Amino acid sequence: MEATEAGQAKSREEAIIALREVYKSYHTPAGPFLALRNIHLSILPGEFVAIMGKSGAGKSTLVNVLTGIDQADSGELIINGSPIHTFNEDQRSRWRGRNLGVVFQFFQLLPSLNLIENITMAMDLTNTFPAHEQKQRALQLLEQVGIVEHALKPPSKISGGQQQRVAIARALAADPPILVADEPTGNLDTKTRDGILDIFSRLAESGKTILVVTHDKEIAARAGRTLYLKDGKFIGGTAT
Amino acid sequence: MKLFPIVLKTRWIKVLKDIGGNKKRSMLVILSIAVGVAAVGMINTAKQIIQRDLYGSFLSGNPASLYVYTSPFQKDLSEAVQNMREVETAEARRTVAAEILAPKDQWEDIQLTVLPNYNNLKIDRFTLEKGSAIPGGREILLERDTANAMGINVGDEISIKMPDGRTYSLKVAGIVHDVYVLPFSLLGEATGFVRMETLQWMGEQPYYNQISLVVAENKNDRDHVLKVGETVRDRVIKSAGYQTYRLQIPGISSDPGEHWAHNQINGFLLILQIMGGMAIILSGGLIINTVSAIVTQQIRQIGVLRAMGGVRSQLVGMYFVNVLLLSILALLIALPLGQLGAYGIGRLAADFLNFDLVLFIIPLNVLLLQAGLGLFMPLLAALYPILEGTRMSVYEAVYQQGIQAEEKEKPIDRLLYNLRHISPPVLLSLRNTFRKKARLIFTLVTLTLAGAMFISVFSTRTSLTEQINQISRYVAFDASLGLNGGVQRPTAIREAMRIPGVSVAEGWASGSGVIIHYDGSESKALELVGLPYNAQTIDPLLLKGRWLRSGDSQTVVINEDLLETEKGLSIGDPIELKTGETRRTFTIVGITSKHLSGPRIYMTLEDFGRFTGRQSQVDSIRVRISPETVASAEAQSQVSLQLEKHFDNAGLSKQKATTQHVIFANFSQPFNIILIVLVIMASILSVVGGLGLTGVMGLNILERTREIGVLRAIGATNTSVVKVVVVEGIVVGLISWVLGAIVSVPSGWVLAWAVVETVLQAQVNYRYSGWGLLIWLVLILLIGIFSSLAPARDAARLTVREVLEYE
Amino acid sequence: MLAKFNTGELITTASTNSSRPLIEFVDVAKIFKSEAGVFPALRGVNLTIQAGEFVSVVGKSGSGKSTLINMLTGIDRPSRGEIYVAGTPVHTLNESQIARWRGEKLGVVFQFFQLLPTLTLLENIRLPMDFCDIFPRPERNDRAMALLDLVDLSGEAGKTPARLSGGQQQRAAIARSLANDPPIIATDEPTGNLDSATANQVIELFERLVGQGKTIIMVTHDPDLALRAARVISIADGQIISETRPEKHL
Repeated sequence: MEATEAGQAKSREEAIIALREVYKSYHTPAGPFLALRNIHLSILPGEFVAIMGKSGAGKSTLVNVLTGIDQADSGELIINGSPIHTFNEDQRSRWRGRNLGVVFQFFQLLPSLNLIENITMAMDLTNTFPAHEQKQRALQLLEQVGIVEHALKPPSKISGGQQQRVAIARALAADPPILVADEPTGNLDTKTRDGILDIFSRLAESGKTILVVTHDKEIAARAGRTLYLKDGKFIGGTAT
Repeated sequence: MKLFPIVLKTRWIKVLKDIGGNKKRSMLVILSIAVGVAAVGMINTAKQIIQRDLYGSFLSGNPASLYVYTSPFQKDLSEAVQNMREVETAEARRTVAAEILAPKDQWEDIQLTVLPNYNNLKIDRFTLEKGSAIPGGREILLERDTANAMGINVGDEISIKMPDGRTYSLKVAGIVHDVYVLPFSLLGEATGFVRMETLQWMGEQPYYNQISLVVAENKNDRDHVLKVGETVRDRVIKSAGYQTYRLQIPGISSDPGEHWAHNQINGFLLILQIMGGMAIILSGGLIINTVSAIVTQQIRQIGVLRAMGGVRSQLVGMYFVNVLLLSILALLIALPLGQLGAYGIGRLAADFLNFDLVLFIIPLNVLLLQAGLGLFMPLLAALYPILEGTRMSVYEAVYQQGIQAEEKEKPIDRLLYNLRHISPPVLLSLRNTFRKKARLIFTLVTLTLAGAMFISVFSTRTSLTEQINQISRYVAFDASLGLNGGVQRPTAIREAMRIPGVSVAEGWASGSGVIIHYDGSESKALELVGLPYNAQTIDPLLLKGRWLRSGDSQTVVINEDLLETEKGLSIGDPIELKTGETRRTFTIVGITSKHLSGPRIYMTLEDFGRFTGRQSQVDSIRVRISPETVASAEAQSQVSLQLEKHFDNAGLSKQKATTQHVIFANFSQPFNIILIVLVIMASILSVVGGLGLTGVMGLNILERTREIGVLRAIGATNTSVVKVVVVEGIVVGLISWVLGAIVSVPSGWVLAWAVVETVLQAQVNYRYSGWGLLIWLVLILLIGIFSSLAPARDAARLTVREVLEYE
Repeated sequence: MLAKFNTGELITTASTNSSRPLIEFVDVAKIFKSEAGVFPALRGVNLTIQAGEFVSVVGKSGSGKSTLINMLTGIDRPSRGEIYVAGTPVHTLNESQIARWRGEKLGVVFQFFQLLPTLTLLENIRLPMDFCDIFPRPERNDRAMALLDLVDLSGEAGKTPARLSGGQQQRAAIARSLANDPPIIATDEPTGNLDSATANQVIELFERLVGQGKTIIMVTHDPDLALRAARVISIADGQIISETRPEKHL
């Protein structure tokens, strides 16, 4: 098998994220396009992992498959103990809500809600915290990402960097063990980006597992481990 | 910001904020629901108001089951009838046709009625409005509709002209409300009540000529009532030595004990019900489209909510609650609006039919119906778009939005792609039109229904006009005047021809007769008409056979109205007629179209003279100014005044002349009111259609935001962008116009049939309205343009950067 | 039919009648304002580009390179400064004027091709001609066919974009950008969604167009692609930080 098994050094039993023989292809007018080819991946709890690669290398597909946003064609995905490749769309949603926080490149905050409500929404949908505690927790999370003074504003009234902080706070709302971010700093300037990265580092220290997809080398430098994707395969990995 | 207490779940906060955040779209949904629900409430409440107030007050005055018209009798005859086992109550009446001087020095017909005891009215009881309910000597009570129309008040002196031409001055003692007579404004005949002494003072003999009666049992059974009438005729009236002229159940083909316009009102309410149903269907279509718009707009948010752990049932719940809240808001509008509309219709009906709206009670059952409809119909309509919108996978929702998989190619697409000689901007509009086929179908259904209704209303109008024109063939005179008995035909014609301007004058004779059936039974009374075989003031439309000819003898032409009661009569049949005591057998040579004024038998004046023994005598004179065409209303009223004056001076008549225009003015008024209501309904439907199109165009623009940005990027100016959108709106409008034109052919027939059947009790003579089609074309183009203009402007306002930020 | 347009007619060279450069940015700044504060995307950029240049603009996400090209195409307007393109003061035009001007003077090629899905390739290319009304109506179909031929897609003229591969769509988009024969082509990440072989074809097409006298400004974050241009402008935090001319072009 030519594919490098990234992070295979760690035993599967310990891993919080364990992917085996994962394939994913898309239909295009020009024919099928193989986005992921035989991906193996193990990530331990508390790791901060960066995944790098050019456009079209399969980074986003990997994130989508891993978060259950998209479904792999074949392979095994055991994440935080759940075999998500066997789940249907609704089961994946329910599982994701409690196990995995997603941070999108374009923040994707709900425009009609203020920042607190954007965060309490996640708790509401997942039924994770009692209704009377939700607001308090949302404020704490906003405090944690340093944006509590804007708590009552709608997303359109704050800058992109601030929106991304809120998106991170939202991803943490249901207190999931894993945080996955797709190009979280792609639309931000250097200074703002550093602020976001600090938050990720702190979270990793506090025990969260962080997976960031990026094409920015400086982010990779902050991560504990960096994996490189090309044409749907890992080309080399640095194990912690 | 502290608006929402902490206990409210965040998802409900989002629902509330989404409703508040997009006010335009929320209003569109609210209006869509409200229009249909309000229409249903309006119609059903109006129905209850009319039933309660009109039928209620009608029943409370003890309505007659039957009128028996007899030769003159004294009061004891009615007492004998009253004593019959089959009769619950009987009351004698005397009626006299006279004239009353209305404002502007115009004489109007009035029926003077004498009741035996004003202190104790037994049947068809009127109620007092003003003044006294008991007329004294030389006093009169006027029906309120008469008094209102003529501007007469209690205490006024009025002039009454008796058939002999003498006038008397009477004091108005009171104004009463009588729901049992057709109102003056409808019939053109005033109603007044006097004492027998007053009538005597005015030169009439003191006798009664009508018995009103209420049967003891089966009050609503037509056959039973008529049977009782026959028993009364044979056992009491005949044996007492009086003659019975006619048995008549009150009303316009109503059943006994029912209001005179019962069938018409019910027919009209049925038509409104159908329209209400259509409004609900349109509402539903509109909701489907608008809710799709809301869901489509939030596809990405739905994806994000699912990414946050939301399961489908939670999302479905959120959007259902969203629709439910909008429904509740819509109900808040629709409930009062429906009541207001119902009150309007009730008011219109009350004025028209001369009854009072008693108490404005809001009918609970209608409110419940509205609430049920208003809450469930939207949820049902929203079911499909909500389930469809939340089915998408998170991946599609978040990443694939905008790159929509094109629908499967349909024949229409192939056709559109084969269009090659049209410029690309227009092609763009054309193909965009057919892009979302389900949505297009909903919009087309809405607009097509609205258009079909609109054209149908016009076709109904045209058909009615045509129907009335059919009738005008039989009153093809400028003026007609009743003559004193025994006037010789040459005299009448000679005098009429002396009036300047009169070029045609004809004397007609008329009388009453019955048909003797083979079994010896007699028919209802019918009108016999003697006229010159070459009469010019009639233009009969012959359905079968031929018209009267020179030298005809013992031949008659009957009208279709007669066939309703005397089925089976046809050309060549012998028919035995009886007038007075004379019987004679004629042959039917022709059948004319309906007159709507009742059964009629035409024969030549010569036959008529021989049959009735009134040789060469005529009963009316009919004149025309021009032999070719009927004159204007003004010319007619002028010649009618001259006719009256001339014949009065010549001592031949003291009656009032009538003109063709006056006859039709009275005749077409009820139709106009119905048409107004129908036009209002059709307008509501087209407003709903327009709202629908606006919503759909808005939705289309929303989905094609990126494409519009690209258009801007490759050189499209504001005008070009607006044009691309508006042309699409126009194309949708035009397609719906074609479909509406097709659907309106049968739907117009149904509506015209229903209205004519309801109001005239006649077969419809259907005419499609080309004008309706044209007017709708103009309207639909305007709707197409205006409902796409707002979305088009929104589209043009988008800058390229905003659009490309979607990336 | 194709004979009607020889390459010289189909693609004309910008007339450089004056000594002024084709594109001139004078102290251009763009500041995005929100309640959270101001964010300067461009801070006083001065730039001149001569007719016939192939310029690439590189920089990281958020560096301001997309804002720069949006200023040039009139897709966004500067907060301060002046922009002259072929003598037109773009910063003074309103939205509608810009749309018209852009249609005539500037071809835009997007990362996601952005062909209209309901129109065939031929119709997509005719569309800008119909909007701008420069070429006489009877010539437009022939011209559109000739442009498709130029990008080797004349066989697909009657197909809708959904039936084509990404590379084909991008080539059609380039043909569309040439519809009104504009002197300038501006493009933001034109190869972002293409594999490397297809991307190479697209760049070769650009090189051919430059050879025929067009001016091309291309934004990219791929350093390898950027080096294919004659002049590489690097942007960071809203300012031009360096300008290089790759050696092979010297």
